[in-house]
Amino acid sequence: MATKKSEAVLDPLFNNNPIALQVLGICSALAVTTKLETALVMCIAVIAVITVSNVTISLLRNQIPGSIRIIVQLVVIASLVIITDQILKAFVFEISKQMSVFVGLIITNCIIMGRAEAFAMQNGPLLSALDGLGNGIGYSAVLMVVAFLRELFGSGKLFGVSVMPLVSEGGWYQPNGMMLLSPAAFFIIGAIIWAIRTWKPEQIEVDG
Amino acid sequence: MKFLRTILDQQGKQFEPGGKFEKLYALYEAADSFLYTPGETTKAPSHVRDAIDLKRLMVTVVVALGPCILMAMWNTGRQAHLAIQGGALPLATWQTKAMETLGLAAFDPSSILANFVHGALYYVPVLAVTFMVGGNIEAIFAVIRKHEINEGFLVTGMLLPLTLPPTIPLWQVALGTAFGVVVGKEIFGGTGMNILNPALTARVFLFFAYPAEISGDKPWIAAQTSPDGFSGATWLSKAAVEGKAALEQGLTWNQAFFGDIAGSMGETSALACLLGAAVLLITGVGSWRVMAGVVIGTILMSTLLNMVGSDTNPMFEIPFWWHMVIGSWAFATVFMATDPVSASQTNTGRWIYGGLIGVLGILIRSINPAFPEGWMLAILFMNIFAALIDHYVIQANIKRRGARYAT
Amino acid sequence: MRHSVLYTFVFAAIICVVCGVLVSTSAVSLKEKQDFNAALDKKKNVLIAAGLIEDGEPTDAVKIDGLFANIESVAINLENGTEDPTFDLEGYDQVKASQDPDRSFTAPANRSAIKRVPTHAQIFKVNDDAGTLQQIVIPIEGLGLWGTLYGFLAVDADLDTVRGITYYLHKETPGLGGEVDNTRWKAKWPGRKIYGPDGGVEIAVIKGEAAPAAEAPFKIDGLSGATITGQGVTKMLDFWMGDRGFGPYIKSLKQQPAV
Repeated sequence: MATKKSEAVLDPLFNNNPIALQVLGICSALAVTTKLETALVMCIAVIAVITVSNVTISLLRNQIPGSIRIIVQLVVIASLVIITDQILKAFVFEISKQMSVFVGLIITNCIIMGRAEAFAMQNGPLLSALDGLGNGIGYSAVLMVVAFLRELFGSGKLFGVSVMPLVSEGGWYQPNGMMLLSPAAFFIIGAIIWAIRTWKPEQIEVDG
Repeated sequence: MKFLRTILDQQGKQFEPGGKFEKLYALYEAADSFLYTPGETTKAPSHVRDAIDLKRLMVTVVVALGPCILMAMWNTGRQAHLAIQGGALPLATWQTKAMETLGLAAFDPSSILANFVHGALYYVPVLAVTFMVGGNIEAIFAVIRKHEINEGFLVTGMLLPLTLPPTIPLWQVALGTAFGVVVGKEIFGGTGMNILNPALTARVFLFFAYPAEISGDKPWIAAQTSPDGFSGATWLSKAAVEGKAALEQGLTWNQAFFGDIAGSMGETSALACLLGAAVLLITGVGSWRVMAGVVIGTILMSTLLNMVGSDTNPMFEIPFWWHMVIGSWAFATVFMATDPVSASQTNTGRWIYGGLIGVLGILIRSINPAFPEGWMLAILFMNIFAALIDHYVIQANIKRRGARYAT
Repeated sequence: MRHSVLYTFVFAAIICVVCGVLVSTSAVSLKEKQDFNAALDKKKNVLIAAGLIEDGEPTDAVKIDGLFANIESVAINLENGTEDPTFDLEGYDQVKASQDPDRSFTAPANRSAIKRVPTHAQIFKVNDDAGTLQQIVIPIEGLGLWGTLYGFLAVDADLDTVRGITYYLHKETPGLGGEVDNTRWKAKWPGRKIYGPDGGVEIAVIKGEAAPAAEAPFKIDGLSGATITGQGVTKMLDFWMGDRGFGPYIKSLKQQPAV
């Protein structure tokens, strides 16, 4: 049991990463990763939503009628996301303004729904919580790496603090504008997947 | 020359499987086959008897690029000298110092020698950086993937510098080349396997990464220009603002055709591209169907826009004969669209592929406010569709034959 | 697991009620704080345009309200260009109002692609401690390359000299048009003049670099590689400072004796 618990948390980091292996949740990974600050808030929001939704669904798993289970999952997740959005607007207004609709779009983040359907419907609340946490952290790890690279090379900053002073502000660094456009996130995620699969070749899919 | 062969053969043993430098076999092989025709013959069945191989193919393209390269050097110098004559100051760079040392500091636009030397001082470093970076990446991948280094990068490395403005910082050239080779080619499996044209991938990376330098809005001339005096903006960006009148007042068609205008180093001269096209077509290396397709697509789309007209967008009124001599139309049509790997492979497919490049290129050039030039994006876009076009062409062919023989 | 239809319905109803209560509770209980944040954010942008705080400077509610003590918020009737003291500005959202046919009117033909103008606009008068007008801060909006830019323009008490400009919402390309929120570019604005000798709006973003304010009072440096965004800025100033925007109000304010 103990190994299963640690697996639930650690597996999604590298062995079964929701972004790098399952390629889920890409949409938000593109949108909020131009800055570390917004990415961090997004990560916290997703970890919170996925953990709470997993626990909730897991507690209800024996009561949810099979015919409407997807709708029930969706209602639970949507409610959690709206509450999260409200809290962000109330307490970190500046950042929630920059994240605009993408907080709301956590609802459509396939990772959360996927874990609810694939894991929480079959497992107890504690294990589901750990699974949610693990997947949330796995998602966050990739997001933070992407945001780190994009903010560093796109604006020469980390968490808004200038690391490489820009030419336009009297420094020496010529920012790479492509890093601020969405495709850059694709390139970086692609490179991360490339790196992970070189390290763990068993993740390479067999050509069908 | 015997002794060279002996050295290669002796050293070669160390690179064979089991030898000391087994891992670096690719480097040895590259040196060997560069100096000598490979001794191996094809062993498996299905032989094609033809003198053409990858090396000859690539060398033909390089020969075809000759006129463009010469124009690149001459014109880069000439535009800089014209600007200086018009009141701009020479750039404070080592190139200017070198010109002074050589006694050519008069910056005379009518002196062919001065033009050539000044242009070469800008062109050659860009070319050298491209080859250094691209060649090394190619070698690294060859060593890791245990395949032989091939001539694939030769053409990419010749094409890329010609599409860049002379004042581009060399570190940007290095970065763009690296991106183009890795993302445009190596991740798909190397030469011959690429979906995108690597030179264009590099160019498009630089365009999006450093748009302020490379979008044609800033001066593309190797001299210190100012907006009030000698602005040095490209004719394409002038046409986008002021329309046909600006072109007709500012320069003659012949001048633009010959390439005596500011722009990317090797793309200004439609004449040089035409000479290159002749070489490619006579040797059969470039597909005439693709080129003809682009020409037809361009004429159709620009004529359509001429007829539709627009009050707010002066680009609509530019006729196709101007479209073909400003910007990078000629270069893109002759050298970029015809890249045999990333273009369509079927004959019908080539017509469609070329035609759509022509249509899309004009569309992006005229209608999109953010991108002054459309060819690079149009060709990359169609690169992605090339295989799909082939698929449908082949399917249609199978269906037609099926219908012919059915009962 | 099989469940009866009745069970399914009851379960669905309970879930809906529980979630509904949770969501509405959070929304209602946090509303006050959110409105406060939104108002504070607006004030902050006004202060940035007026040059009273630096962009990116850490601020808190106390500091912003302190600086706002001398700022008075005024409603302008854009149909006739007069101040409208009866209009309630509490919670007024000009952008929303301009989409509501009852609270806006069709904009006259303009180059900035502005379709509707709200009947009322909120501007800010910045006074000194003695109550003398220092500058006014005017909301501006207009089309750039990819979308509408929203911002504030601060004008000196002479109603001609620019004191500052800021854009708080835009969709321009990062590094090109997106440079409208670059502090270095915004620093080029103070000191430039809006109205030419004939009273028309002359200020314009040019291509390339403009001379210092004393030599080229009506010109602002262009943003490199972003001609369209620059033109957008020029056009929106032309509209909002012109006769169809705040022009009539500014003229009437000029004729008023200083209070």
